[in-house]
Amino acid sequence: MLNYVIRRLLLIVPTLIGITILVFAIMAAAPGGVGASLLTAGGDMRPEERAAMEAYLNARYGLDQPLPTQYLSWLNRVSPVGFKVDENNQADGFGLKIPDLGMSFAKNRPVTDLVAAALPITLLMNALSLPAVFILSIIMGVYTARFRGQALDVGISTANLALWSVPVIWMGVLLIGLLASEEYLNWFPTSGLESLRADRWTFLPVQTDDGWQPGYLLDVLWHLVLPVACLTYTGFAFLTKLTRSAVLENLQADYARTARAKGASERTVLWHHVFRNSLLPLITVAASILPGLLVGSVIVESIFSIDGMGRLAVEAVQLRDREVVLSITLITALLTLISYLIVDICYAIADPRVTYE
Amino acid sequence: MPLIQRFQKRDLILYTFMIVILLSIWMAMFQIDRQWLFIAETQEKIDEQTRDIADLRRQIQRGVAVTAPSAVTSAGDLPTGWRAFARAEQAASTPDYARGDWLVQSFASQVPSLTPYLSGDAYASRVQSWVSDTLITRDPETLEWLPLVAERWSVSDDGLEITFTVREGVVFSDGEPLTAEDVAFSWTFLMDTRIAAPRARAYYSRIQNVTVSGRDVTFVFREPYFEAFATVGLLPLLPEHFYGRYLENVAAAEEFNQSTGLLLGSGPYRLVSPTDWKPGDLVELVRNERYWGWLPAPFDRLIWKTIQTDAAMLTEFKNGGLDVYAAQPLQYRDLIEDELVTRSAQPFEYYNPRGGYIYIAWNQLRAGKDTPFVDRRVRQAMTYLTDRERIVDEIFLGFALPASGPFNPLGKQANPNIEGRKFNLEKAIELLAEAGYVDRDGDGVVESEQGVPLAFKITYPSSSDNYKRVVLLLKDLYVKAGVIMEPNPVDWPVLIEALNNKDFDAISLGWTGDFEIDVYQNLHSSQTEPGGDNFINFKNEELDLLIEAARGEMDEDVRMPIWHQVHEVLFREQPYTYLFRTKSLVFSDRRIKNVQVVRAGLNTGGLWSMPMEWYVPSNEQKYAR
Repeated sequence: MLNYVIRRLLLIVPTLIGITILVFAIMAAAPGGVGASLLTAGGDMRPEERAAMEAYLNARYGLDQPLPTQYLSWLNRVSPVGFKVDENNQADGFGLKIPDLGMSFAKNRPVTDLVAAALPITLLMNALSLPAVFILSIIMGVYTARFRGQALDVGISTANLALWSVPVIWMGVLLIGLLASEEYLNWFPTSGLESLRADRWTFLPVQTDDGWQPGYLLDVLWHLVLPVACLTYTGFAFLTKLTRSAVLENLQADYARTARAKGASERTVLWHHVFRNSLLPLITVAASILPGLLVGSVIVESIFSIDGMGRLAVEAVQLRDREVVLSITLITALLTLISYLIVDICYAIADPRVTYE
Repeated sequence: MPLIQRFQKRDLILYTFMIVILLSIWMAMFQIDRQWLFIAETQEKIDEQTRDIADLRRQIQRGVAVTAPSAVTSAGDLPTGWRAFARAEQAASTPDYARGDWLVQSFASQVPSLTPYLSGDAYASRVQSWVSDTLITRDPETLEWLPLVAERWSVSDDGLEITFTVREGVVFSDGEPLTAEDVAFSWTFLMDTRIAAPRARAYYSRIQNVTVSGRDVTFVFREPYFEAFATVGLLPLLPEHFYGRYLENVAAAEEFNQSTGLLLGSGPYRLVSPTDWKPGDLVELVRNERYWGWLPAPFDRLIWKTIQTDAAMLTEFKNGGLDVYAAQPLQYRDLIEDELVTRSAQPFEYYNPRGGYIYIAWNQLRAGKDTPFVDRRVRQAMTYLTDRERIVDEIFLGFALPASGPFNPLGKQANPNIEGRKFNLEKAIELLAEAGYVDRDGDGVVESEQGVPLAFKITYPSSSDNYKRVVLLLKDLYVKAGVIMEPNPVDWPVLIEALNNKDFDAISLGWTGDFEIDVYQNLHSSQTEPGGDNFINFKNEELDLLIEAARGEMDEDVRMPIWHQVHEVLFREQPYTYLFRTKSLVFSDRRIKNVQVVRAGLNTGGLWSMPMEWYVPSNEQKYAR
C-alpha cells in the first residue's frame, strides 16, 4: 500500500508539468498576447496612454523573451525544488526554496494575495452547499429507491429533473427579482456578502439603544441564502439518481434477501445492510469534492456580486493574466490528482476485496 | 465489534472538554463584542469633538476674512480666493440645508486599487477626486478655472513657466500642512520610473523641472503646450511625508506598486484608514473633519457598493439601497414610466464631458496596399450612407447626439458652423461613381475599374450590444448603395492586436473625451509609426500644421479658431466617420437635494476635485450618524 501511494505521488509531478505546459501553450497561442489586454483593462482608453503602457509592460514582465524560456522560468519559480534566484535575477544555488506563484499582470499584485482573498469566500459557499447537496441527495436517493415507482419516486425525480433543467443564470435573476425586491418579497439582500455597516457590528446578535442588530454572523448567513441556494439546486438530480440505482441494485441482492429471511425489519435491511453497501459508487463522485470546494461558480458569483475563485479565474482568462491562470490551474490540478489518490485509498478501506499490492 | 459502542468514562471526559472549549469560544466572542461596542462609542465621541473643533477653526478663519476690508467684494459674497466654494455656499444657505446622511452609489466592477496612478480605472479616479485636492478647480457651469489649493497663479508670456502660490492653512487629513514642497513632490513622485505610473508620465514628462520658492511653485515646460495649465493645475497633490518613503529604494517603490489602498490627501473626504483598503472591501470615504475648505462636506460618508449584475443593481436601487442609478436608454424609457421609481427618484439626462465619441475609422493602408478608403470621396460617401440620425433615434431612442467631429460641442473647441452630413443615398452613389465605383456587372454591388467589388469588414468589440446593433443597421444601409459590409465582432485582445498590426478594413470604437482634446496622437501623420495611434495611416499636411499650431498656442482666443479649422479639415477629409456621443441617463433619490444638470454633467465631483453641492435635509436623512 505504501509503495503504491509513493508511486502515485511521484506520478503527480509529470502530470502537473504536462497540464501546465498545455495551459501555457494555449495562453501563448491566444491572439492578442498578454500585454494587449491590459491596455484596456480599465475600459478607459486615451490615445496618449496606450504606447507608454505597452512599453512599460514589456520591460517589466519580460514578455519579449522566447516562450520556452518564459515557461521554464515560471516552472522554476513555482517549484519547491530548483534554482534560487537573487535580487538581480541571477541563479544563486540549487535546492529547496519557497514556491512563488508570481505576480498578476493585470492587478500588479502577488497571485497568492489574490487567491488568499478569493478562496475563503468560495470555501465558505461550497462548505455550505456541497454537504447540503450530498446529504439531501442521498436521502432522496434512498427513498426514491425504497418507494420505487410510487408517487414519491415520480414526484422527487420529476422535481429534480425540473430543477436541473433551470439555468442558474435565469434562476439567480428570478430569485433577486422575487425574493430581494421591494416590488414582491424583500426578504433577502440583492448582492454582496454583508450589510453596509456590518463591519461595525458585533459578531453575535445584540440589542442596542437603536434597536435590534443581527450581528455579523447572522448577517453573512442571511446574505448567503440566495447564492448558496443557486449553487445547490442543480446538484440534486445527478446524485439522487446515482444513489437510487445503487440502492436498487443492492435491495435485490442475495444478502438483502437473506437479511429479510432472518427476520430483519425492512428498515434495518435498508439502513444497516443495503445503504452502507450502496455508498461505494458515491465515493467516486466524492473525488470531485476536494477540488470542487475551490472552484467557484462564475455565474453565481457574478449575479450576486461575490468575488470568489470563479470570477478570479474567468477574469484572468479574459485578461490573459497568465500567472493567475497558471496558478489556479496548478492548484486545481494538484488537488484533483490528490483527491483521486485519496479515493483510491478509500476504496481499499471501504471494500476489503480491493488491494493495491 | 458491536455496532454501537457503550458510553464510557473517557467519552464523558472528551465531551465535557469539548463543551468547555465551545463555551469559552462563545464567551470570548461575547466579551469581544462588548469591547467592540465600547470602542465604537468612544470613536463616535472623538469624531464629534473633532467636528466641533473643525467648526470652531472655520469660524475663526471666516471672521478674519470678513474683517479684511479688501478681501470682500460685496456683502454676503465669498472672499475672492474662495470662489471655488461659491456654489456649495449657495446650497448651504438654503433653509433646509443640513449636514449628515450618506450618499450610496455603485460600481459595476471591483476597483483593483485606490492608490493614486496604479489603475487606469475610471472608478478609482472618481474616489480619488474626493480625497486628493488639486491646485485649481473648474466651475462646473461656466467652466472657468478657479483657485483651490493655489491662492493665485501666473503664466509667463511664452507659456513655458507656470507659477502657483499655495494657499496658507491647507492641511492633509492627518493634520500635516500642505506646502509648496508637497506640490513639487507630487510631480517628482510620479516621474520616478520605479513608480508604476506610465500613463500619467506620458502627460507630465512635458514638464522640464519644478522649482519651489517660499509658497510659490514654478513648473517649467519643455515646449509650449495648450493643455499645460490644466495638466499642472489638476495634478493630484500628494503628501511627501506619506508617499516620500516609497522613493527610498526599489523595494519600497515595489511595495507602492503592489499596494491597493495607499490614499491620503487634503480633500473633503478621506479613507477611514489611509493604508488598509483592499479590493473586495466596501469603497467607503468618511468626511475629512480637518478639511481646510470654506465649508465642510455635507455627507458623512460616500459609499460605493460593487454590484456586478445590472438586474441586481436596479433592484437594489428600487429597494432604496442605492441613491444613484445610471440606466441604458431602453431601461430609462421604461423606468420614467414606472411609478415605483419616479415616486422616489428623479431622472436626469445630460452629456458627460468625459463621455467621448464613437466612430468608424477607415483604414487607408492594409498589408502595404492602399485600400478603397484612401480616396477621400469614398470616405465621404460612407459618411453619407451612415445614417446617424437613425442610429440615434432607433438604437439610442434619441438619447445621443450625432457627431460631426472629435470635438465636444459643449466646449468651445468644436466649430459651430459645421453641420454633420445627413443621410443622402444619391450623393453617396454619385461620390462612389466619381471615385470609380459603379455597378459594372448588374449584380447590385459596385465595382472598381478593375472589377473588384467594394466589400469590407467592420471590426468592433464583441462585448457591446450597442456596437452590434449599430453595425447591423449600417450593413443594411450600405447595401443600398451597393457596398458590401460584413460585421466582424472580436474580443478586446484580438481587437487591440488588429489595431497594432493595422490589420483591419474599418474599425468601430470610442475615444474618451473632454471639453478640449488633443488629436495629435490619433490623427497627426507622425503617429502612423509604431507607438502612435494613427492606425489608419491618415496623412494630411494641412492638418499636421494646424494641429501643431494649436498645440503650441497658449492663448485660448487664438487657439480655438485653429481648432475650428482642424474640425473643418476633418469634416472634409473624413478619416473617421464620427458617429455619436451618448447621453448619461441617471436617476437620483429624491431625498438628495440640489442635484442639477450643468455643463460638466451633474453638479457633483468625480471628474475633478470640487466641493460637494448635494445634501439631504435633516428630516429626510436616512442613515444615522
